Amino acid sequence: MSLYIFYISNFLLLLCLTASLMQSSKIINNKIFTRPGVIVLAYVQLISILLSFLILIYLFLTSDFNFDLVYFNSHSEKPLIYKFSGVWGNHEGSMLLWILILVLFNFLFALSRRISERFKEITVAIQSIMIFGFVAFLFLLSNPFALNQNNFFDGIGLNPILQDPLLAIHPPVLYVGYVGFSLVFSLAIAGLITKEVDQKWATIVKPWVFSAWAFLTAGIALGSFWAYYELGWGGYWFWDPVENASLMPWIAATALIHCVLILQKRNVMQSWTIILAILTFSLSLVGTFLVRSGILNSVHTFASDPERGLFILLFIFLILVFSFSLFAYNSEKINKTSSMGLISRGTGIQVNNWLLITILTIVFLGTMYPLATDLLLNKSLTVGPKYYSTTIAPIIILFLFFMFISPRLGWTDTKLYKIIIQLRYLIITSLTITLIISLYFELFNLTEILIIFFSLLLIISSVTASINFNKQNILVRTNLGQNLAHAGFGILMMAVVSNAVYSEERIYNAKVGDNLQLQKYIFSFDKIEQVEESNYNSLKAYFLMKKDGKLIDTFTPEIRFYSNPPTITSEASILHKFFSDIYLVMNVPQDQQSISVRMHIKPFMTILWLGTLMIIIGGIISAFIRIGRFNEK
Amino acid sequence: MSSLVKSRLIKFLLSLIIVSIAVLIIIFNLRDNIIYFYGPTELLKNSDKQGQIMRLGGLVSVDSFQNEADSIFYFSITDGDNEIDVKYEGILPNLFAEDKGVVVEGVYMNDGRFIANKVLAKHDENYMPPEVIETLKKSGKWQGE
Repeated sequence: MSLYIFYISNFLLLLCLTASLMQSSKIINNKIFTRPGVIVLAYVQLISILLSFLILIYLFLTSDFNFDLVYFNSHSEKPLIYKFSGVWGNHEGSMLLWILILVLFNFLFALSRRISERFKEITVAIQSIMIFGFVAFLFLLSNPFALNQNNFFDGIGLNPILQDPLLAIHPPVLYVGYVGFSLVFSLAIAGLITKEVDQKWATIVKPWVFSAWAFLTAGIALGSFWAYYELGWGGYWFWDPVENASLMPWIAATALIHCVLILQKRNVMQSWTIILAILTFSLSLVGTFLVRSGILNSVHTFASDPERGLFILLFIFLILVFSFSLFAYNSEKINKTSSMGLISRGTGIQVNNWLLITILTIVFLGTMYPLATDLLLNKSLTVGPKYYSTTIAPIIILFLFFMFISPRLGWTDTKLYKIIIQLRYLIITSLTITLIISLYFELFNLTEILIIFFSLLLIISSVTASINFNKQNILVRTNLGQNLAHAGFGILMMAVVSNAVYSEERIYNAKVGDNLQLQKYIFSFDKIEQVEESNYNSLKAYFLMKKDGKLIDTFTPEIRFYSNPPTITSEASILHKFFSDIYLVMNVPQDQQSISVRMHIKPFMTILWLGTLMIIIGGIISAFIRIGRFNEK
Repeated sequence: MSSLVKSRLIKFLLSLIIVSIAVLIIIFNLRDNIIYFYGPTELLKNSDKQGQIMRLGGLVSVDSFQNEADSIFYFSITDGDNEIDVKYEGILPNLFAEDKGVVVEGVYMNDGRFIANKVLAKHDENYMPPEVIETLKKSGKWQGE
């Protein structure tokens, strides 16, 4: 049985290779290559990969330990959902998932209408060259369907820290984001080849780039959400190299989506848009594979193998060389000179583009510097989180200002003082609220005050802009996606700053019967029990939270002991309130009688996630709904 | 020189200056926030590093662990050749134990003691931080492959 599956699945991979090769040949405009058509081949590519992915799922669900991948990454006693998510909890499986999404985007684009046949052929051909490269890599260097000769009775198991429902969806969502930019990249290259990077091109690209961006945002948010819940470190962002690797393509993509919008509206900045499209996809590749390569050391690292790392490096290198030489050759031909006013919406977006690139550089240097010193000087070091916060915070102030002012400016030259006068009530309101906040909370740090002030301006102006009546007092359609995302970003920034300023932490060693204090709350350590679950044993502590003698809630932080593979994890117990989270984690160090409890008050966490959600929804709306004509003239 | 070339040259030089200033600011900020990693032997050789924030890694010495008051701990970190005494106030990770690998972050005081403010959490019982492996290899005490 296993042998048949082995043959079928490898045949499917070869089938996809063949179809992709035929699809790629369409880049040459010759009659020999017209049959079979784009759509037929796209079906073959999709179905072959989809089937092999389903086979892999089947192998994990039935725990077929004749396959190496299942043996090393699964265990028969694992709950069903983790057998399922174990499919992509390893290098080979996640590569197959990556390819599946690559093929899916290829397929969806092949089906899309109102695009000239030649442009579609070229885009799909570029996309298929990448599919070919990755499937060849999978087939030759990391085949998920490799058999072993032994009859293993049971598997080794999945890292327990990855056994979390959130982690079952975090990688697929993140991958849809990363891989979505592969299509944007293909579209950019097709635009360079046909020399048609214009308003029509931007209209074709827009839904793809926005949905990829929304998915990437959601993927990063899910990862951060998971770190907050599962890792028990009491934070949501650590400037860990792995997090930075996903943030870098996001920053480039944020610049990109705005450039696509300017291109669509004004037919300017063609070259820069193409550069950003190439940059975003390259960073997505770096994001996926730097993380997987084992260069960075974290839970994300799967088995490392120099050959694989080399392949990916070579691939990224080829993409960069190819696309930039094509760009150098053709860039003069795609640029059309149209003018933008100096004080205009376009300029504002351009300035924020530069600011985003600066932030990208900061994150890039901070992430790569330790790698470089380790490789070149054999010296281990880490870059402290303070580097990021102190360098990025001042830029964020400027960034928020331009985010607030740009949508209020017209596309052509606008008088700045007129706009300021127009927005005077808004500015006064924000100023007052900022003053109240800073006095009430005794906040006197200039950077923090400025971030809060400009965030407020951004939030209020975005909200008022989305409620817009015309002269007949009828609500007109406005740019809801933009306003929602911008307001969400303002809310996110406010929450980030307030969270950083007002977080409080207490650490206690506790025995049963102890009363511990955190601000106005008392926590009574009630009891501790052992619980047996199907795949782990746990030690569960019960803390009764009281305020003024009244019981409010019970906290049950846990320590879990997994046996396959042997690992210990701490599960935080969290109470969400609208304005703050209360967060308890416990630890039991060996050689110790009492348990240690870490208690955090984390203000504005709910609001922080809410802001992020608004950004994601704003992105999705912008992807699929035509922009209203707000503030056009 | 045509005026077009001239204006392009000026733009180019201007952006070069701005970019280099930005990069300089970033790099200076980076240098201020770098945390170096040392093993015990290395740290003893670099006694001028006292007072800086750094990371120290190695094995927790056998029979060195003491829990004095509520959450104040004393232990030593060794690479087999040299030992450094560590004082730590806070919460110890679940997997902290004698004769296991550990990485702490804190300040190396001028009395030769290390005051740690963080013990870096690790998830896997058999996991050994790569820096610690490197340290043990340097002192020739590494048992693994």
